[in-house]
Formats: sequence, structure tokens, C-alpha cells
Amino acid sequence: MKSFQSGSQTRRDWLKQGGKAAALAALPGCSTRLVPVGQNTVKVGLLHSQTGTMAISETSLRDAGLLAIEEINAAGGVLGYPIEPVVEDGRSRFSDEFPRQARKLLSDEKVAAVFGCWTSSSRKAVLPLFEQLNGLLFYPVQYEGNESSKNIIYTGATPNQQILPALDWFTSAAGGSHKRFYLVGADYVYPRTANFIVKKHLESHGVSVVGEQYAALGQQDFKDIVNAIKKSDADIILSTINGDSNLGFYSVLAAQGITADRIPVLATSVGEDELRSLLPSQVQGHYSAWTYFQSLDNPQNKRFVDLWKREFGRDRVTDDPIEAAYTQVYLWKLAAEKAGSFEVDKVRKALGSLAPFDAPSGKVKIDPKTQHMYKHFRLGKVREDRQFEIVHESPDWIAPFPYPQVAFPGWKCDWTSDGLTQGEPVAI
Amino acid sequence: MFYWIYDIPIWQLAVLISGGFVLVYWIGAIFLSPILRRLVRSTAGSNDVVGYILSSFGVFYGLLLGLIAIAAHQNYTDVEEAVAKEAIALSALYQDSKAFPEPFGQNLRWLLRDYTRYVIKYAWPLQQKGVVPQGGRVRVVAFHEKLLSFEPQTSRESIIQAETLRQFNHFFECRRMRLHSITTCIPPIMWYVVGVGALINLVIVWMFDMRLITQFALGGLLSLFLGTMMFLIAAMDNPLRGEVSVTPEAFEDVHRIMMDEAY
Repeated sequence: MKSFQSGSQTRRDWLKQGGKAAALAALPGCSTRLVPVGQNTVKVGLLHSQTGTMAISETSLRDAGLLAIEEINAAGGVLGYPIEPVVEDGRSRFSDEFPRQARKLLSDEKVAAVFGCWTSSSRKAVLPLFEQLNGLLFYPVQYEGNESSKNIIYTGATPNQQILPALDWFTSAAGGSHKRFYLVGADYVYPRTANFIVKKHLESHGVSVVGEQYAALGQQDFKDIVNAIKKSDADIILSTINGDSNLGFYSVLAAQGITADRIPVLATSVGEDELRSLLPSQVQGHYSAWTYFQSLDNPQNKRFVDLWKREFGRDRVTDDPIEAAYTQVYLWKLAAEKAGSFEVDKVRKALGSLAPFDAPSGKVKIDPKTQHMYKHFRLGKVREDRQFEIVHESPDWIAPFPYPQVAFPGWKCDWTSDGLTQGEPVAI
Repeated sequence: MFYWIYDIPIWQLAVLISGGFVLVYWIGAIFLSPILRRLVRSTAGSNDVVGYILSSFGVFYGLLLGLIAIAAHQNYTDVEEAVAKEAIALSALYQDSKAFPEPFGQNLRWLLRDYTRYVIKYAWPLQQKGVVPQGGRVRVVAFHEKLLSFEPQTSRESIIQAETLRQFNHFFECRRMRLHSITTCIPPIMWYVVGVGALINLVIVWMFDMRLITQFALGGLLSLFLGTMMFLIAAMDNPLRGEVSVTPEAFEDVHRIMMDEAY
């Protein structure tokens, strides 16, 4: 009998292959589905302000998240599922639009995780929703601490990883032994709380704060504030101004003749991405404290920067929140793979036991107790090309302490046991 | 309703539709033809009568098919033109942004590049699934916001801003046209008429008094042609869906230039 053949395959081969294919096709029906029925992808949310005053900073975080997702999808996805990003715009409206979009992502889109927010106001506005609906938010920006939630993974720096080491350096001989700090910030949660910690820290080191001023988010007119700084005899400015207000602040400073030689600015929210909107003459020589700079010299960072520029253009830059926004997607992926699930509780548990991850900023890991990240501290000085020269960095990574004891005595959190332990009530 | 046809490779679609027609015809030739022939057998020279009716019907049906094929092609060309116009308007806007002082102009260009990348990488695959992409709107709003935030210091800058706004409005119109065309297609009622017409064609041919092998050969050829015409119209309908669809090539060209100029 003549057998049915195609090339070198016999009919028996075809039957065998057909049988295997049928068995594989039947398998998803028998095994546990990791995503909702009718879905072939795992949805994740990206929630940033793409319009409004914070768009200058947050748009790049959306891009970083998308870049990581594109890379992961190109490599086969997570647990066999491609990631489907659901991108929403917080419109720089922290109290109404962010919670509305967060609810949409968690309730309607049923995303496995959300990567988002920049301002503490937006994070605090969505936090109750994540706790109520048991969602998982990855927050990529350095912040003021004094917060801990089981439903948030903080991948940005805490004050003890960013602001406090910077203050210590500037008050040391190496940093110029500065003694008179002027605090300028945007008028919302982060700057207010950060400055509260700063004042307590400086006070404990015998250093004085000679002035403190706040400007509304988005404000461009800084003449009065800069005049006050000039009159104050400050020898350093600590700026916690956010978003495009920095354009107004630095341009008025430069116009009033306050250069880095006279009174340096130590900024905690100005990275390479914000500098791209500023003239080099306005910012050269001033400082920023972060845990990552584009100029970091390591293979992971070189690869990351090359990828970023190849995708978005050679004139685009990376910065600390961008790096964290990129890294946190990988951390979620690794945790989901370790947990073998996209369920929030399992992923969260797995996150705390992940091996150190080689991020562009160096080795990082999530602390299971605080759900914050171990990070390096770095201090950068703005160069003429609007990149940073790293003038100081911590010898090793620094464990995160969301509640600096100098400001929040007795407060601590440990999500592996008791959760949040409240200390003395603190009025900010 | 039949959008799944755009998810299969074009050659499979061709085989499916053309082969489907031939198969239906052959099955009908075996089972329905003997019954239908009885309806006309009593008349002397029944094949002449059936032939006359087929040729009369064929004229009208051929005209209908031809017009629909032209309409589908016209839709396709219109969408292609809308896409090209949007890409040209985007390119002009990019050129306009170079006239702004730096770093403001650079910020505008970043936003346009971001929009172009989004259209190529995210909007196009969604369009191919018949989904109207939402992510472009927010990028357009971001650009518009940025443009309006510019405070001209000289009359030259005022003119540049006004001209860029005019160009932006033109770009916006082109973009709306593209989005509108995502759901452009031949109305279902026309598909219904075409389908009924094709069936009548087959029924008439089944009425011919011929040997089965001749039915298979001649009727098979006719139904193959009908199926091929259907395939052509179906493939060209919904100009942004399936393999025979408008590509993002115009945007890719603009994006390439933008990336080359990004320093």
C-alpha cells in the first residue's frame, strides 16, 4: 500500500504530529488559567500624567515602562503571556483624575499591576483604592517616606537613600561645610514632608535653616522667592520643586545672578529629563541627589541608555525615575515568574525573596519588610552638556527606611510580621 | 461580523473564499441540480432559456460586482491618501518646530516623535484589529498644550507660533480622517445583495442540463471566478485591516527622518 507522504514524512508522522497538536490545544483548557477567561494577554496599567504640568517629567516614565514591556514581550512575555499595557493619563490632576483612572484600571481593566504616579499627592490619592481593591502599585519616584502600604512597591529612594546623605555631604568638609540652608519646594505633600525631615536632620547636626518657601505646582514666577533667598544669606538652596516650575525657578535664579559658585542648588527632583528643558547656562554647576545618573559607567547602564536612545532618539536622556520605571517592570516580571502567578498576594510575596537584580543603577533588591528598594546614593553636578558628573556615591547600597527616626521616632513597618508600628504622633 | 477573515493569511483567505464557492457549486451540482433541472425540463430547449436568463442576469450582476470592486478600491485609495496626508502634515509640523527657540523647539519635536512612534508601534496593530486607538489623542493634547504654553517675545516668534498652530489644525484634521477611516467599509446591505446575486448565479447554472463532469468543469470555473471577485472585494474592504491593508510606511519614513535628525 502506498503511504501518504510529504517530503520525508509518512502518514504515521502526520498522525503523530496531529495527535501532539491536539493534545497541546486541549492543554490550556485543563491547566489553570493565569489570566481571566477570554484574555490571551496579561494586562498591566501605566498611570502617569501625560498632559498638564507634570507631563514634562512623567511622560518619560510611561515611555520607560513601555520600553521594558516591549523588551519582555519580544523575549516571550511573562509565564507565556504577552504583556498588554493599558496606558491612562492622570492629567496632572492628582485628587480626582488619578483615582478615577486607577479605579478604571483595577476594576474595569483588571490589570495585574499598575506602574505609575510621580507626585506624592497622586500616590496618596490612589493608595486607598489599591488597598480596597487589593491592587499592586509600583511607584518609581524618590519620595518623602512616612508611608508604607502592603499594596505599594516603592522603587524610588527614601529620604535616607537620597536627601539625608546629600545633606551630610554638603555639611562635611568635602562638600564645602555649608551651614545655612534655604528650603524651596512645591506646595504639596512631598516637599512639605521632606523639608520637615530635613529640618529635623539638620537641627540634630547643628546646621541652621535660614528660610523656607513654597510655590504652587506649575508656578513660573519665582522673583519673590529668589529675592528672599538673596536677602537670607543662605549658602546653599535645597530645592524640592517639581515639574515645569523648575524652568521658572532656574531661569529667575540665573537672571538674578545666583550661580552655582555663589549659592549652589541641591535639587531632589531635577534629573537629566528635566534639564533638557533648561538652558545649560542656567543650571551648570548646580547639584542633584539621586540614586542613578545617565553618566553611570557600567555595562547594564550602557545597554539601557543605548536602547533608550535607539528607541526614542539620540537627544533623549535617561534619569533616576526613568531607570526605576524601567527596572520595576522587570522586578514584577521576575516576581510573577517566581510565584508562577499574576495574583497580587503571590507576586508581592515573591518580590521580597527575589535575588538581587542587575539594574542600570547597579544591584537592587526589594526589602520584604518595607517593600522599598535597596539603592545606592549618588550626588551629581550638572555639566555643560546637561549631564551629571558624579561627585560622590555611597560605597554600597543603602537599606530603605521609610520612617527616618530623627523625624518619626518609633515608627516602623514590617510587612513580613506586624505590619505598621506607629510611634509618637507627628504633626507636619 | 466576518472580521476574522482579516486575521488569516491572504493566500488562505483566497483559497477559502474561491475554493468555498467551487465546493458549494459542486455539492449543489450533485444534490440540487437534478431537482432544479426538473423545474425547466418541460420546456423545449431549456438550456437556451436558462442561458438567456443567465446572460441577462450576468450583465446586472457583473455591473454590480464591478462597481463594488471599484468602490472598495476607492475606499482603499482614500484611506491611503488620508494616511499620507497626515504623515506629510506631521512632517511639516516637525519642520515648523525647528523655528522655535531651543530648548522649547526640541521639546516640541520630542512630542511629535513620540506621537509618530506610537502610531507605528501601537496604533497600527490596533487599527488592524478594527480598534480605534486612544493613545494618540493624549499625545496630540500634550503637543497642543506645549505649543500654547509658548510665550512669544518677538513678532517673529508670534508669527512662528501662529503658523505652527495653523499647521497643527491641519494635522489634526488629517488625523481625524485616518481615525474615521478605521471603520470605513462596504455597508452590510451591499454584501447581502452581492451574496444573494452570487447564489442566484449558481442556482441558474445548476439548472443547465449537462453531464455532471461538464457541470463540474464549467460551473466550477464560473464559481471560481465569482469567489475570486468576492475575495478581491473582501480583501480590499476595511482598508486598515488584514494583509491587503494600508501600511504605516508613510509614518515610518517620517519617523526615520525624525530619528536621523535627533541630536
